[in-house]
This record gives sequence, structure tokens and C-alpha cells, in this order.
Amino acid sequence: MRNVLTIARREFFAYFGSPVAYIAIAVFLVLLGVTFFFKIPFLLPKDDFFEAKEATLRPLFEWMVFLFTIILPAISMRLLAEERKMGTLELLLTLPLTETEVVVGKFLGALGFLGVATALTLAYPILVTVLGNPDPGPIVGGYFGVLLIGAAYLAVGLLASAWTGSQITAFLVAIVICAAFTFVDRLPEALGLRAFEATNLMSFNAHFRSIARGVIDTRDVVFFLSVIVGAVALASHSLESRKWK
Amino acid sequence: MIEVQNLVKDYGPIRALGGVSFTVQRGEVVGFLGPNGAGKTTCMKIVTGFIAATSGAVTVDGKDVVEDGVEVRRRIGYLPENAPVYPDMTVREYLAFVAGVRAIPAADVTRRINDVAMRVGVVNVLGQEIGTLSKGYRQRTGLAQAMIHDPEILILDEPTSGLDPNQIVEIRELIKDLGRDRTVILSTHNLPEVTATCNRILLIHRGRLVADGTPASISAAQGGGNTFLVEIDPRDGAHPVADVLSRLPGVTSVLPVEKAGAIGEPFRIAAIGDTDLRPAIFDLAVRSGWALIEMRRERLDLESIFQRLTQS
Repeated sequence: MRNVLTIARREFFAYFGSPVAYIAIAVFLVLLGVTFFFKIPFLLPKDDFFEAKEATLRPLFEWMVFLFTIILPAISMRLLAEERKMGTLELLLTLPLTETEVVVGKFLGALGFLGVATALTLAYPILVTVLGNPDPGPIVGGYFGVLLIGAAYLAVGLLASAWTGSQITAFLVAIVICAAFTFVDRLPEALGLRAFEATNLMSFNAHFRSIARGVIDTRDVVFFLSVIVGAVALASHSLESRKWK
Repeated sequence: MIEVQNLVKDYGPIRALGGVSFTVQRGEVVGFLGPNGAGKTTCMKIVTGFIAATSGAVTVDGKDVVEDGVEVRRRIGYLPENAPVYPDMTVREYLAFVAGVRAIPAADVTRRINDVAMRVGVVNVLGQEIGTLSKGYRQRTGLAQAMIHDPEILILDEPTSGLDPNQIVEIRELIKDLGRDRTVILSTHNLPEVTATCNRILLIHRGRLVADGTPASISAAQGGGNTFLVEIDPRDGAHPVADVLSRLPGVTSVLPVEKAGAIGEPFRIAAIGDTDLRPAIFDLAVRSGWALIEMRRERLDLESIFQRLTQS
């Protein structure tokens, strides 16, 4: 556990010791602000903030999820790919650490970034609370859901980063996987088919929406936790199997 | 202490190690010698647990490097090839990070960092980002990292690559010093380095161990002789010099050699076994009334042994 935290601390400060974290957070907050206050028809649910005349943050959370599918892979891409490229993976794995400790530590470091980025959006619920009288359930649920889905993205990104020595490859692979699993619930609709259960079951977004409604269902939480644990375990395994190549 | 048994490593269709076995005792300074691509680095990566062997086993103090990996790695300080470091950290942050993972008590970390920084000579750059340092400083930072927990075993892959001649001498002194009370395995393709620092050589070629021993024993096994170069000015002493010399006990041959700017008569004298002829030659010169201009035991010609063993 100590080792995990040592790694996590290094990762976290590696983000905030370089411009990467600040740029990613700035891009995230600006895009979020723009889409929240101005009506942008693409992908947005019908109830835009000013016209809806309703104190809700639903569109905000929807947009956060959308932005996360791009920004979080950019954050997670370096986690292992960079170490592999620079040769520092050899240093790390010849220290008295297990692969699992390395991978979990890195995941937690990236989670720290997610925490900071998400915390910086707390201005919105404060604003909405000042302006109106929102139902706290969906806001708490929304944040909980955003953190869970973000953590799942990071875990998938970490796995992609474990597969390759190229950060760009890790980034693209992570985006494709994250976007596919997020928006798969829209697939039947896009194909002109009736919605069916399987796509909803697989879809990150469907589970996220369910949590964001403010009613926290164990099944949704378990879904995300399984994705996270599964991806982190696979990343650890992928790092271990490298030894035998 | 370190036992390597019949190590085989295949990278896909390529066999990097074809059955290497050796044992390293506590306190030995072992030089891994061989041309590029001989398998030195692969072997070190297996001993440090970074990669696993296709077959064969490595144990450190009886513990298997795969089964008890963490326990083995605790005892080893490792400097990988090219000294990988985190360019975005300062030297101090980097050493503190490694000290943290090495479970050095927080109270001792600063003292340990200052201590190793002093020994490898990075005190004046402790606050600098590693990315801004020269290759020599990075290399030494890597070495500091390997020593931070005062390990019993140090494994150094080309520890002096990228250093200038003065730094090379410093690092060699450091390695010799470290070798007094711990085990050191270093790899190099620099021959003087091995003779300067190691008391044992493992010569590896195409994934096989082709020689194992002290520089002298390898030389002897390869038919390298025990020879002395002398230059004698006979003045009015006993004559002829070569005949007198060849009567010394242990001498097998005395051959005149060419030498630019010779004052006297230069000879190469070969002796049986390990006999050191120098005291006898000196006494003989005194008795015979010769002036001894120069006398030395010939340096082991590792270079030609290296070439002979690695050109097949």
C-alpha cells in the first residue's frame, strides 16, 4: 500500500509539474463553459441551461462525460507507454515493487487528476443553487456518476498504455474503446432499430445516466467497478507477460 | 550468493542466451565482458527480474528471482543500460522517490541522499532537473539511485558509458571501493575497465560463456604466457646477457625484441607457470654489474584474448 501511494504521488505530481495537466484542465473547463452556457445543438439534450428554466445540471454532466472521452485518454496515455519508451519501466520494475503496485499506483495518480478537474467544476452546482432551487439528488448522483465513468475511462486508458510504447497509439486506442462503450446504447437508434437490452447493459453512458438520475443503483456501481478492476488487472497482467516476450 | 543455472533466453526466433551458468560469491567484483549483442544486458535483466528466462534459473541467496522477485530486488541495486531517469524530476526528488520505494525510513532519507550524492559526485546538481543534466551526470544519478539503499549486490550495466576520462577514473575508484564489502557485477566492452576494477571476468559471446576466471587465469588458459620485458645495459658486466638470463630458474625463453630508443638490450623473457621473475632478474643484474634500464611484467593481453575468443 505504501508503495502504491509512493507511485501515485509521483504520477500526480508529474501531471501538475508539467503543463499537461493545466492545459487539459483549461481545455476541459473552457469547452464545458461554452457548451453549458451557449446552446450547441450537437449531442446536447434538449434542455439547455437558460431555456429550460429549470435548475438542473444534467446537460453539464452529459458534456463532462463527452469531454472526458477525449481528455482522459490524453491523460492516461503516458502512464505506462512513456515509461516503456524512456526505459524507466526497467527501473521501476527492478525496484522491489510488484506489477500490480505499479499499475494501481499509476491509476490512483491519474485519478487524482480526475478529482482535481472535477472539483474545479463545482462552481456550476454553486451557481445553480444560488440561482434556483435544484434537487440535490441528481447533482450528487451526477458527480458520483461522473467520477465513476471517469475512473473507468482512466482504467481503460491505462490498459491501452500498457499495450504499447507509443503514447499516440495508447491515446487513440483508448478513445476508440471509451467512445465505443460509451455511446453503444445509441447504436440501435442510429441503425433505425428498436433499442435492445444488450447495448444498454454494455453502455457506459446508460449506466452513467442511471446513476445521474440521483437514484444510485448497486448494479450500475458494480458495473463501473468491474470495468475498473478488470482493466487495471489486465494492465498489470500485460505488464507481467512482457517479461516472457 | 548469486547462482545462475543454465540460462536460456529466446527473443522470438533469436536465441540471446544459450545456456549460461555461473556462481558469484559475496565480495566478488565480476566483469561481464563481450561484444555488443553478446547477451550481457539480457543476462543482467534476468538477474534483476526485469525479464524472465525462457529456461534455467537464477537464485540470489537461495531465493528465486521469479518466485521471490520482490525479496531479491530488495537486495539488489541496479543501474540499467543508458541509466534511464525521469527527466521531469530533480535529482533530489528522483532519489527521494527511489528511497521511498526502497522503504528507507523517512528520517534517514535526506542523510542517505546526501551520502550517495557525495560518493557519486552529484551534490552540486541535487536541485536540478535531470532532463537538463549532461550524460555524465545522468549516469551518476543512475548510479546514486542504485546505491541509495546500500545494497549487498550492485548490478551495473555499462556504468561508465558517456563519461569523460576523468569521470571514468572516479567511477572506477568508486566501484573498486564498493567492491570491498559487497558484490558487484558490471558489464562493459571496455577492456581496461575490467582489468582496472574486476577480480573476475565472465567473457560472454553469442549467448555463451566462453571464459570465466581472473584476468591471469583466463590468459593462462588461453595460452597467454607469463612474460617479462627487460631492458639491460650490460656496461662491463657478464656477457652475453641473453645466455646469463636464460640460466635463471623458471625461464623458458629469452628473446631479443625491437624497441625504439633503447639504451640497452631489450628482451622478452618467458617463465613457467606464475613465477614472478622480477626479484631474480634484479638480483642477477646487481650481481652481473648490469644497469637495469627497464623491467616490467607484461600486461595481460586481454585484448587479443578477447578478439580470439569472440571472433569465432
